[in-house]
Amino acid sequence: MSEASLSAARPPEGAFIEGAAGLALVAAPVCLLLVLVLFPTVAMIWQSFQVKTEAGIHFGFDRFAAFFGDPYSMANLRYTLAQTITSCGTALALSLGIALYLRFSSGRVAAMIHALSLFPLFVPSVIISYALVRFLGPNGLLQLLLEQVGFTHYRTPYLTPVGPYLAFVWENIPLPVLVLSAGLSQVSDHAVEAARDLGAKGPRILWEILLPQLRRSLLIAFALIFLGVIGAFTVPYLLGPPAPEMLGVFMQRTLGNLQRPAEAQVQAVILMAIASVVGAFYIATMLRADGGER
Amino acid sequence: MLSRRHFLIASAAFSALSGLPALAQDKKTLQVYIDGDTNISNWWNDIIKPAFEAANPGMTFNVTITRGVGDGNDTIAQRALAALQSKTDPQVDYFEEIEPAAVAGSVEAGLWTELTTANVPNLKMINPAAPQAPIRLPYRGSQVLIAYDSAKIPAPPKTFAELVAWAKANPGRFTYGRPDKGGSGSNFVIRAIHEANGRDPLMFTKDNFTQAKADEMLGKAWVLLKDLHPFTFGEGTYPAGNTPALQLLAQGAVDMIPAWSDQSLQAMKQGVLSETVKVAQLQDLALCGGFAYSAIPTNATDMAGALALANFMLSPEMQTSCVREIGGFPGIDWSNLPPELKAEYIDVIPVSIPTFPSGDWQTAKNDGWYRFVATNIVRDL
Repeated sequence: MSEASLSAARPPEGAFIEGAAGLALVAAPVCLLLVLVLFPTVAMIWQSFQVKTEAGIHFGFDRFAAFFGDPYSMANLRYTLAQTITSCGTALALSLGIALYLRFSSGRVAAMIHALSLFPLFVPSVIISYALVRFLGPNGLLQLLLEQVGFTHYRTPYLTPVGPYLAFVWENIPLPVLVLSAGLSQVSDHAVEAARDLGAKGPRILWEILLPQLRRSLLIAFALIFLGVIGAFTVPYLLGPPAPEMLGVFMQRTLGNLQRPAEAQVQAVILMAIASVVGAFYIATMLRADGGER
Repeated sequence: MLSRRHFLIASAAFSALSGLPALAQDKKTLQVYIDGDTNISNWWNDIIKPAFEAANPGMTFNVTITRGVGDGNDTIAQRALAALQSKTDPQVDYFEEIEPAAVAGSVEAGLWTELTTANVPNLKMINPAAPQAPIRLPYRGSQVLIAYDSAKIPAPPKTFAELVAWAKANPGRFTYGRPDKGGSGSNFVIRAIHEANGRDPLMFTKDNFTQAKADEMLGKAWVLLKDLHPFTFGEGTYPAGNTPALQLLAQGAVDMIPAWSDQSLQAMKQGVLSETVKVAQLQDLALCGGFAYSAIPTNATDMAGALALANFMLSPEMQTSCVREIGGFPGIDWSNLPPELKAEYIDVIPVSIPTFPSGDWQTAKNDGWYRFVATNIVRDL
């Protein structure tokens, strides 16, 4: 990194002060992270392996076995994963399309599309959920418009898996567009023009020139959407079907309504395990990129 | 040494300060604590307060809203309990709504005033359907009813079986809320549990829960509800709460839902629901409901005033206001209210108000409903 090489060139005592100042600056957030996030997380994972019996407490996978052996919990897990992957894939494909369009077009229409694609960033989930109920819901605006043109077979996606899917896709366009646009701006016009000169068509340019250079941005965008959707609460709570439930809603109900903290803990650990795989991907991508620049 | 001048200033200031409470006491102010919704606190401030002041010259009350602060009125009651033990002023005269048994140790410590016809004369008119305890005053109630669009349903179902038959004959036109998200859906599910178990609410008590019993008794209700499942709105897409269910009715997406009496009567009054929407109660066994209880701490700053307020709240005028303004049920018997009011609400006047115990039975009901009714997983019951 450039800052590291700069400070390495200075006298050692200056480097020490600078290093200490840097550490002092990050100390507060790191401590906060340790106390408020890391410690409770580790404690919760530890507790989730404790099994209370009449003979006392022993360690084992009993509580996880109960989760994986319960068809209802498993249906919720499968639904959560399916919902997350489909909305993630759609949002990623759409934002890639928008980012590509914005990369190779200019003018007022492009500026307008750019602004529109960022708009969802400023709308909270609860607002979009209620807006979708009014728009897509039974006898909502969309149905009324469709009926005006003679289409009477509209079935509302409200309270079905399609409801949260639409909200997730809408919500998760802006950040990937920003990330992918940044990635695309690194691709030089010359490379694209050279490929065109050699007779490459659009799909081939995308596949062989653009996508290889976008891999890192795509991974980052994927991780951002995935982590946002898998732990979502408001959207599936307001728009989704009663069952199966997404894990965020299921967890809240298990803890709040059924008052079974031990089960909610196991659900949280499983959700966290899935999220941490994707999180690890994200961090690995960031680290590899850093190493590459050095 | 304190100069004479300083002494004079100090004593003048002291007498001015001590004079303040004396001024305030010219008009007796009761401290009323409310943690209900806005409709309740607005009703107290805008309607009850001026009426109380007019009926009791020289008296007034101050409403403190504890909604969403700590544990609401329970927290204030714990403070009053502490004040009782340390013999200090609790600064509370009246709890608009509280469950004394839920405030740990308060009943044993004698925090609550026993209310009888001797100190609250209007108690002689009390609604026999209201479960009574001398330390709590049932003064307004609500119950789950069947709200329906009379333009499409001229004769609403009178029994649970008729309701199911109507829902099956009109697929997608009936729905109820998820039982953990609001009382309207919850009490409909409870009504199905009652239906499947001989319509005897007394079979379920707080202490008779066992898992085996729940599997057997609730299992029968799941068969009933699972049978209804494909005929509900969206083939089993139950709305997530009281308001979302009312919204579906308001949008004309369904024609019949179970709804809280006060919420639907108020929505009808405000024009949120169409004019053709009416409410009815099942006649073979009503849906569940309950009363809101007021209570007075024994160490109330102004006991006489608090008792006067309790008596005033049970007066026919205020009970009529309860029906008219907040769509509640009266705490006193309907025979004490104007006959035209009774005629207007004849369809919804409860003959009985069944209840369902809280605790294990509730949990088993909510968990079982999600597992066996809402889900489309095929499994043996």
